Amino acid sequence: MEKPPETVALAGNPNTGKTTLFNALCGAVEKVGNYAGATVSVRRGQCYTPHGRKLEIIDLPGCYALAGGSPDQRIASDVLLGQHEKHPRPDLVVCVLDASHLERHLQLALEIIELGVPVILALNMVDMAEKSGLRLDPVKLSEELGVPVVPIQADRGKGLVELKQAMGHPLPAVPEPLWEKGDAASRTRFGLDAAELAARRPTLHSSNLSDRLDTVLLHPVFGWVCFIGIMFALFWSIFSFAGIPMGWIESLQDFLIGQVENAMSEGDLRDLLTQGIIGGVGAVVIFLPQILLLFFFIGLLESSGYMARAAFLMDGFMAKAGLSGKAFLPLLSSFACAIPGVMATRTIDSPKERLVTIFVAPWMSCSARLPVYLLLVPMLLGGSEGGSMQALVFLSIYALGTLTAFVVARLLRGRLGPDEIKSHFLLELPPYRLPQWRYIFRHVLDRGWAFLKNAGTVILGIMILLWAATTYPKLESDDPAEVLAHTVVGRVSHFIEPIVKPLGFDGRTGTAILTSFAAREVFVGSMAQLFHVQESDDEQAMRGRIRTQMAAETWPDGRPMFGPAAVISLLIFYIYALQCLPTSAVVAREAGSWKWAVGQFLFMTLFAAGASLLVYQTARLFNLA
Amino acid sequence: MASMTVPDLHIDSLQSLAQAEVGCDFQIRALEGPGCEQLRNLGFCETLRVRKLAGGRNLICSVCGTRLAVSRDLAEQVIVSSLIAS
Repeated sequence: MEKPPETVALAGNPNTGKTTLFNALCGAVEKVGNYAGATVSVRRGQCYTPHGRKLEIIDLPGCYALAGGSPDQRIASDVLLGQHEKHPRPDLVVCVLDASHLERHLQLALEIIELGVPVILALNMVDMAEKSGLRLDPVKLSEELGVPVVPIQADRGKGLVELKQAMGHPLPAVPEPLWEKGDAASRTRFGLDAAELAARRPTLHSSNLSDRLDTVLLHPVFGWVCFIGIMFALFWSIFSFAGIPMGWIESLQDFLIGQVENAMSEGDLRDLLTQGIIGGVGAVVIFLPQILLLFFFIGLLESSGYMARAAFLMDGFMAKAGLSGKAFLPLLSSFACAIPGVMATRTIDSPKERLVTIFVAPWMSCSARLPVYLLLVPMLLGGSEGGSMQALVFLSIYALGTLTAFVVARLLRGRLGPDEIKSHFLLELPPYRLPQWRYIFRHVLDRGWAFLKNAGTVILGIMILLWAATTYPKLESDDPAEVLAHTVVGRVSHFIEPIVKPLGFDGRTGTAILTSFAAREVFVGSMAQLFHVQESDDEQAMRGRIRTQMAAETWPDGRPMFGPAAVISLLIFYIYALQCLPTSAVVAREAGSWKWAVGQFLFMTLFAAGASLLVYQTARLFNLA
Repeated sequence: MASMTVPDLHIDSLQSLAQAEVGCDFQIRALEGPGCEQLRNLGFCETLRVRKLAGGRNLICSVCGTRLAVSRDLAEQVIVSSLIAS
């Protein structure tokens, strides 16, 4: 039987470029970021040495020491100590060190050397270190520590051949610690002496570009102006720039519907294709450009180093909600998608703060809510799309979800009580760097593909079922309302209408909400089907058509069904409801209990319904409905 | 260099990093308090030089070329002395 490949773990302090090296070694395109905590789980890949030997590469989350730390750091230390249930102890550890911070990063490397495993030191970002005036001597360092030291530039692929050669057979000998093993003070002293010999730092602190940028971006006043400006620009550009590709998708949709209508005679199959599949799925796919732009801008912030600054600025604000600035990164990620956001909470040291952050993360309006907002918001603005007014309303929607999350976090944090061990805010502010475009674009494409896959599977399935439910059983009648009432959906709508009517919705809107519990974005397609939005030959946008149809709908007493109160009530419901099964599954895993996930789902759904009810009934009280 | 303890030093020149003046360089003399371990893991240790870059609720300092944001509570546990005084 063939021997399994030897495993090589990439370990080191956070933000030293381990994942960039992993990508370079394995030809992978895992997400990288310029902040501590970009990797929170173990990734595996394979590479070959120059002699053709296969190696299993494990990319570990960054950690500062082998003891303690946040959950992501404990994963790394568990693997290195051979205590991880899924990953056995590696045969070789490549310690990735940022060459500019040798004094600090050597401490973990020395701890790993004490474990008695073969070790190689990879000095990453040597170009930046030398540019900052540091004079490196890798040979001297190797002599001092008794391990191979390889200078590399992982982002440019430099030094990889030398590193692979060092990983080749036979593996480097297990180094013998030259300090008092197990004595932290002795190890620290040894590390500092070794760093002083191998990296001569200029004595004077010279101000660099990152320092100069930070004087503005972290300024108590200008810092906030920049932060708000960046966030506003982010949302404004998402809604402005996406218009052009959205127009292309609309045209494609109309073209496909036209082709099907020309090629097929009238009948159920043609209706299924045009209304159910192209109309329903198209109504969701049209939002792809906006979702891609959102992921692109968040990737840009992560890659440039601004994310950590935003966390620093937000710490005081977050403290009012009982959270720390460290909770900001997971919460901001949740604006793109709650799943990576919930996983990113692993970087939070305090277990209770982590639970609270997981609980409120889905209240950050994720990209799946965008289609719903984009459908409904223009109804409040006289039907017009785009422009600064729409960006402002969107900003208010996002702010409402965020503020509510903070209030609930504050209450929940108070109930959970203080931590047994108090954790303090401590954050590395990485130097500003040019974004790694390749990984950003790849990440954006991956997310886009995941969205399309969802549209082609879950959403397509729901659309077909919904089409069938709005078509059968059939009734021979000329009155469309009577035909719909006879179908499965008509009966379901009739049943749920008394429940959703106090919220301002009729049975069909209630049914559309029900269908969107599998995935929020389904709501738009469901509304298109349930309100029988007609296809036409003109180039009018699908959303415009749905809105026109919605605006024309009336209650039996002649009142408009989608007046401002009902639209706001619907928006409020979607801001607060948790309608994403994958998020609940990740919450259950991260919180370690399904109870937490079920409790979160029930709480958020009831909260959403309660808030909608309050808004709509208050509006009715003042005759605004 | 022999490690120094707080009583060995001139008390006048000692202060916490939270009290230290912005824009000046200091030498870390002692780490005292419950957050010490967290600081040591991040690379803070006696004999290292630190420059305080900004004050406030969380202060910013530079240690070995790395910028760190440290809470005021934690900064109170870092005892430094002015480089001139030492």
